[in-house]
Amino acid sequence: MNRYSIWVMEFAHVPGYHLSGLIYGAHNQGYRRLPYCYVVIKGEGQVAMVDVGYNFKAYGEVLANMYGVRNWHPPREVLAEAGFGPEDVTSVFITHAHFDHMGNIEDFPNATFYLQERELSKWVWAMSLERRFRWLMLGIDPGDILRAVDLARQGRLVCVNGDREAVLPGIDLHAAFDTHTWGSMWVTVSNGGAGNAWVFCGDLAYTMENLRGDDPEDPHYIPVGLATGSQVNLIMASEAMVKAAGGDVTHVVPPHEDRLKDMFPSRITGANLRITELALAPGQASLVR
Amino acid sequence: MVDDATASYILATRKCFEDLRQVAAQIAGVLVLAEAGGKSATPEHPMLKAAAELLREAVDQVRSTPPTAAAHLHHEFLSQAGQSLALALAAAGRQIETTAILPPVREAYRYLGRASNALPGFPMVAFEQACCAVHVHS
Repeated sequence: MNRYSIWVMEFAHVPGYHLSGLIYGAHNQGYRRLPYCYVVIKGEGQVAMVDVGYNFKAYGEVLANMYGVRNWHPPREVLAEAGFGPEDVTSVFITHAHFDHMGNIEDFPNATFYLQERELSKWVWAMSLERRFRWLMLGIDPGDILRAVDLARQGRLVCVNGDREAVLPGIDLHAAFDTHTWGSMWVTVSNGGAGNAWVFCGDLAYTMENLRGDDPEDPHYIPVGLATGSQVNLIMASEAMVKAAGGDVTHVVPPHEDRLKDMFPSRITGANLRITELALAPGQASLVR
Repeated sequence: MVDDATASYILATRKCFEDLRQVAAQIAGVLVLAEAGGKSATPEHPMLKAAAELLREAVDQVRSTPPTAAAHLHHEFLSQAGQSLALALAAAGRQIETTAILPPVREAYRYLGRASNALPGFPMVAFEQACCAVHVHS
């Protein structure tokens, strides 16, 4: 019996994203649709999310016009498919501080946000460096830093230092330092019973190839195509995530993986956004049937 | 399309914009440290000194770059952002008190946002590293 209902909810997508951005070394190997999704976890009297996407007001036009991000919809519309709104969200686990994962924090007025302290402190460190080091600040929005100040003032920012167990019943946070970013984090949900663990990996894996290579008969890890930290650390984080999922690589969920629809039940909403249903708690109606 | 003179203005002020954006981020960074209980968040924090130096250079450069008619508003927004950041740094030099420092930083950020919208080539976020935008290089 599942403790939580869990969905991967798309809020935007890029029609053609080059594979070398997703898979280390996959140069000149074509393009793939890249969905942008949050993970929504509902149960035990809580509504939690893994990441919150970005704010169209701040970035949407630039992203749409210059970089091909399409069909962005706000959390209120996306979450309405599940029967609740952003104000009902109680906890948010920010896997890392890139604007497209934490840029929407203002839309969740009642949520407590969990972020690795190292992600914050290394931001600040990078900001103190001279201009020639500015690559280290790419993807970071000064506006998010201002919003983080507000969260902290309101007592809604929890800085996590490494792993933290039972942040909610059955939900643990795991640090993956110096990987995709300095203070990346992944989330496990023990959803009741043996073999029923899920791992939500943020950008530690973009696709299933990162977790099992391209030969299912002879799996191996391939890092993502983009990292501030170490490829070795990314591979070790992949191993830790697969182990935490009981060795079931299909329970390690990269929210950018377009082929989740081939692995789990899903449907397309009227706004042309996909909802993928990973688990249903007792009494929760399916969102995809 | 912008005219040649405005294009030159854009090239001349792009670094100023990035530096002002960086100053806003640096001040906000110290505030985050302060709100998170960091003991290093004092008026003597080295990042504030770096921010003051960067701000001085950026403001000097803005002043010495005359705007074209098409860039007039943009130039005004950069100037206003610089003034607001100077207020924030002056407050931070006295005491790290978020209620005194944050409003002018916010105001500066709003001016930078307006500058970003006023002319092409002044993004508020460097998107290249973000996973959704790395394909800009392709």
